[in-house]
Amino acid sequence: MAAQGTSLRQYALTRLALVIPMVLILLTMVFLLMRVAPGDPITASLGGRVPQEVVDEIKHNLGYDKPIYVQYGNYLGDIARGDFGTTITDRREVTDIIRVNGAATLELTFFAMIVAIVVGVVVGLFAGRFRDSSMDVGGRLFGIVIYATPVFFLGLLAQLFFGSYLGWLPTSDRASPITQATLETHTNIFTIDALIARDRDAFVDVVRHLILPAVTLGLVTAGIFIRLIRVNVIRTMKDDYIEAARARGVSERSVVYHHAFRNALVPVITIIGLTMALLLGGAVLTETTFNWPGLGHTLIVYLQNRDYAAVQGIIVVFALVVVAVSVIIDFVNAYLDPRIRY
Amino acid sequence: MNRRGMSWRLGALAAFVLVLAAAGAGQSALGGAAQGGTIVNGTTDTVTNIDPAGNYDFGSFTLDINVFEHLLDFRNSAKLEPSLATKCFSVGNLKTWRCNLRRGVTFHDGSAFDSADVKHSFDRVVKIADPSGISSLLGNLKSTKTNGKYAVTFNLKDPQSTWPLIIATGAGAIVPSSYPANKLQANDQTQIGTGPYKLTKYTPGQQAVFEAYDDYWGTSAKNDGVIFRYYAKSSTMKLALQRGEIDMAFQTFTPTELASLAKAKGIRVHKGNGAVIRYLVFNVVREPTSNIAVRRAVAYMMPRQAIATRVYHGNVQPLYSMPPAGLPGHTDAFAALYGRAPSPAKAKKALQDAGLDTPFPIEIWWTPTHYGDATADEYAEMKRGLEKNGVFKVTLKSSEWAQYSDALGNQYNAFQLGWFPDYPDAENYIVPFYRSDNFLGGGYKSAKMDALIKLELAARTTSKRLAVVRQIQALAARDVPIIPYWQAKMIAVGRTDVRGIPSTLDAAFIMRFWKLSKS
Repeated sequence: MAAQGTSLRQYALTRLALVIPMVLILLTMVFLLMRVAPGDPITASLGGRVPQEVVDEIKHNLGYDKPIYVQYGNYLGDIARGDFGTTITDRREVTDIIRVNGAATLELTFFAMIVAIVVGVVVGLFAGRFRDSSMDVGGRLFGIVIYATPVFFLGLLAQLFFGSYLGWLPTSDRASPITQATLETHTNIFTIDALIARDRDAFVDVVRHLILPAVTLGLVTAGIFIRLIRVNVIRTMKDDYIEAARARGVSERSVVYHHAFRNALVPVITIIGLTMALLLGGAVLTETTFNWPGLGHTLIVYLQNRDYAAVQGIIVVFALVVVAVSVIIDFVNAYLDPRIRY
Repeated sequence: MNRRGMSWRLGALAAFVLVLAAAGAGQSALGGAAQGGTIVNGTTDTVTNIDPAGNYDFGSFTLDINVFEHLLDFRNSAKLEPSLATKCFSVGNLKTWRCNLRRGVTFHDGSAFDSADVKHSFDRVVKIADPSGISSLLGNLKSTKTNGKYAVTFNLKDPQSTWPLIIATGAGAIVPSSYPANKLQANDQTQIGTGPYKLTKYTPGQQAVFEAYDDYWGTSAKNDGVIFRYYAKSSTMKLALQRGEIDMAFQTFTPTELASLAKAKGIRVHKGNGAVIRYLVFNVVREPTSNIAVRRAVAYMMPRQAIATRVYHGNVQPLYSMPPAGLPGHTDAFAALYGRAPSPAKAKKALQDAGLDTPFPIEIWWTPTHYGDATADEYAEMKRGLEKNGVFKVTLKSSEWAQYSDALGNQYNAFQLGWFPDYPDAENYIVPFYRSDNFLGGGYKSAKMDALIKLELAARTTSKRLAVVRQIQALAARDVPIIPYWQAKMIAVGRTDVRGIPSTLDAAFIMRFWKLSKS
């Protein structure tokens, strides 16, 4: 055990050390992409009414007139200090955007992940367990269709059917106008804020607003889980220890639910980490479709306004989140599976 | 069944019940739009800064107009009226303007309004000179002086007959002396004005909440408050309006959405005179648009009606001069010279008289997203119109605004632009476009035009000023550095229980939310 512990520690340290070049490459790519984009971000975001001397002054103040390597150095230095910059158009601190809008994205992705796991695991397990049955065919078809469906299209269909046609659920935003106006925000995660305020109506309102975007985003992600879990269940059901359990007279029900299913779910942990990036990408489209004021929605608004400082800051945050999640998942995997080492 | 299995099932059941309860219970409790006379307005506009010294965009102005007031305001119509001033008048010449102030006005924080606040408001706009702000409109202001507690004097650098219009813009919004003199009041700090509403909550990009101000000096708002909801996409806003999640929407639906909403049950599309215009700019110093025959031939062929009808479904109207119809001094100058309908015969003759073959090749630039989704169709229609009867061979080119705004005057010979006025007066559609120091980059310089503009700026009476404005429009139509082609209508869409929208649709382009109510 001691040897394994040392090995795990070494793995963790190596993995952490690799984060540095990974983040550096990401930051460099974001920086370069922003610079090679056509047009001048200051002129573009402030419009044609600003005199050239004012544009030049802003460029100077923001350091856009300095040599590119100096800009790059300042950019890395600022990020190292936790300063993600200030938007050009409305001069919001990017950290403030992360705090307010990031909370909305966190809330959406959290519930979307729950939907994805619940749907993915249930459908995947039963499709695998009853291989080649109508349940399997239906589950596979469902998984393929929802995975292949663009998230915005699924969202649009959900809006039209559940919001417009049936009138059951709201089609946009995080809460109704009055709830949002009166709800005191502590965490900017509205479900938590409503619970803190012990406001039942607000909580119900917030949950109602959450259902369509979370289910939409969750379903698309669930498509991946369904196929993965189905394959794992089929493979596990053929393993020797399952046969051994059966030979020992363990009931089929117990074999399936307590042995096969549990082991089939282990690889899902890895996939959860990998789908985090997918989920954040999907959140951009989902948030735009449902006017959900998260980071993705905000990113699109700033892109439309050509506010490159804001876009750069938000993309960096996205990138760092994905890196952090992948590191955490690697640690968990390494802990669970001793074979995973450098 | 073991305990673990049982708890899993109970958990799943509880989650299912919660979702069902949320769907059902919520529908009865908070399913509809706001109650109690609070009007929820949707918009796709964005807000740069709430502090009036830090914005120069329509989204911020529409928010500010509820909170901040001016010495003069378009309180009821496109006609300027006394507001925080009881009277404004020029003293001796048009370089000195004096305003007598209203007594008994209080700011939202309870402090009394007086001349020190006016001086502070104007001084800070000039001092801060925020790049996103409106300080350029005060470029002619030399100084602001108080004359006792209830009068102020504005000393200008040059005579300006339209000064009363300038002080009714965001540049003249009155804030209390407690506002920082040399920097903006941050968006997350309390905003204090004298207007009919207090801004009680603002979350950037999400929502602004206004509550009627009980101690308002003027006629109180007809509603308890207003909530602005900000949308990134008009399609989402349309759904919210149809479902009753919002009561109305001001700015901006696509022409197709408007056509659909006009047929929707329980919804009414209101239209009034608008102030937004679109125009085609020529570079008059580079070939081939330096040739006036080419520009005039385009003027003969411009398919204004087709664009208005086919692309915008009648939500815009053909425009035959830079100042839009409805503003004093407007004349249909282009219609007088080139006709209302396209004339291929006259266009061909203009080109042939100049020794140019037809179809004459011309390159026209437009930008896809900055002016809305309909722009692509607009320019396809323009191309079709200009190519009619083989007059022109049009090559359409486009680039996104970031690149477009940087290149237009330097690289493009014919290009699309749009304008929203700083103040509703013909002057604001003339001076920035035709004076030699115009911002278009098309190279238009005319000594005759400059002289006329100088006359207009210093005209002592409105009738003399408007006479010059008409001369300017005639000269602009002859020189054709720009071809104006449509003006938008002011459009607001509301549910049928929202009252008063038509009364606020006029050339001032101000949505006066305090005049609206819910039945």
